[in-house]
Amino acid sequence: MIRVENISKRHEGRMVLKDVSMDIAEGANIGLIGPGGGGKSLILKIICGLVTPDSGNVFIDDIDVHSLGPTELADLRFRIGMLFQNYALFDFMNCADNIAFPLRQEGTHSEEEIAEAVHQALHDISLPDIGHLYPNELSGGMKKRVSFARAVIRRPPIVFYDDPTAGLDPVTSSKIFILLRKIQTELGVTSVTISHDIGGIKEICDRFVLLDQGKIIFEGDRDEIEASEIPIVKKFWHGFSDDELNV
Amino acid sequence: MSPMHKIARTFQRPLHLLGDWAMGWFHHIGGLGLLTWQVLVYLLPWKWNFDGPETWRTMYRVGVKSFPIVVVTAVLVGAIMVIQSGLYIEQYGAHGLLGWGAGYAILRSVGPILIGLMFSGRVGANNTAELGTMKVTDQIDALRALSIDPVAYLVMPRFMAMIVMMFLLVVVGNATALIGGALTSQFLLDVNMVLFFQSVVTYVLLEDLMHGLMKSVAFGFAIAIISCYFGLQTSGGAVGVGRAVNASVVGSAIALFAIDYAITYAAL
Repeated sequence: MIRVENISKRHEGRMVLKDVSMDIAEGANIGLIGPGGGGKSLILKIICGLVTPDSGNVFIDDIDVHSLGPTELADLRFRIGMLFQNYALFDFMNCADNIAFPLRQEGTHSEEEIAEAVHQALHDISLPDIGHLYPNELSGGMKKRVSFARAVIRRPPIVFYDDPTAGLDPVTSSKIFILLRKIQTELGVTSVTISHDIGGIKEICDRFVLLDQGKIIFEGDRDEIEASEIPIVKKFWHGFSDDELNV
Repeated sequence: MSPMHKIARTFQRPLHLLGDWAMGWFHHIGGLGLLTWQVLVYLLPWKWNFDGPETWRTMYRVGVKSFPIVVVTAVLVGAIMVIQSGLYIEQYGAHGLLGWGAGYAILRSVGPILIGLMFSGRVGANNTAELGTMKVTDQIDALRALSIDPVAYLVMPRFMAMIVMMFLLVVVGNATALIGGALTSQFLLDVNMVLFFQSVVTYVLLEDLMHGLMKSVAFGFAIAIISCYFGLQTSGGAVGVGRAVNASVVGSAIALFAIDYAITYAAL
């Protein structure tokens, strides 16, 4: 269970999050949507303790994330997987080492176990032959899949996906969403997915939160968001705009 | 509007800028202090935590690959010192003091500081760019998200490698500079190079050599901390990386001269 309580955060002179609260039940798959710059990525970083909020608290299983010391925070993060928006693959390691990195750092697995896990992970993401390649030799979609494999190799119970299909073609996006759904089904993870791909996100999430200008505008399940009469929700969910463009 | 308000308005903007500037400096000084503290904590025997193989690889990258540029710089420094001293040596016929003059300056100060500046430009700038790029592409956050402390994983190997290799490069650079000086004295000033080395051995004290080597360790320490700090502080994409590299090189140069001054003054 993740509880976000009254989080506010100012970044570069701008109030990015304003008193944001939300609950994420165990096993829930939350879709976090909203216009760009609304604070979606920031809230994920705050939840896993990468960024400290100006005010408010985050509790993961009743543990106050931002009151933890470095060692306890590191222990907590073993339970969290994160897929970053721009891959965040270590460019000084090849793909196999990138995927193996979380297991190696745990220090409890033999090299044979790690090699087997990496082999399986590469197979799962349908890229069995790219282990020796470096991130700069991969396409955007391949990087995303390798980054995904690294995020879930420890089989964490909580996974955050920050725009897993940003900049990808529809076919690759579809493959990524299939992967996300597979991991949710197999592991029963609690997940938060940020995406602008409404078609994809509605297939893998059971609850949706719309964040705009640092505030939660809407929170509800699929039926509720479909039926919502809030203008920004309608615009965002159904993908239309009544603003005039000066073209 | 009262006169007091007018005066306040006149000074508001400059005071605001001055305050911003001061806050920026205090922010960096505090950040450098914190990073130094974190690094020193990891050096404690019960906290000893850094990647040995990565340290060796970094030593090779920062040290062995800097070797040619240090040798070239050192030979030229030795030659310049001899040419400069040569003017007065010729004037007073004190050929036996040429080795002392050049050796004293090279070993105590000129060698370490010039090699330090080369090291900062080549290794420090590269280090900042590398860490800065990792920062702006979320690789540092990815490390933290995977429960890895970036200071232990990224800073410690660089810190150890830069101190050790700066020291070794100064040792090599000092020797090469003296050889460069001896060759210059032989072929340009017609002063026998045996006499040159005799003069070095007779008049230059072990203390002079140690003084320079102590500076080299302090320079390595400063360049490592400053270059890592500005790398880890980078924000704002490619432009931010450029700014960070600039700040790192300028900061390292200032630190090198300040440390040189402090150690020289303390040794008086």
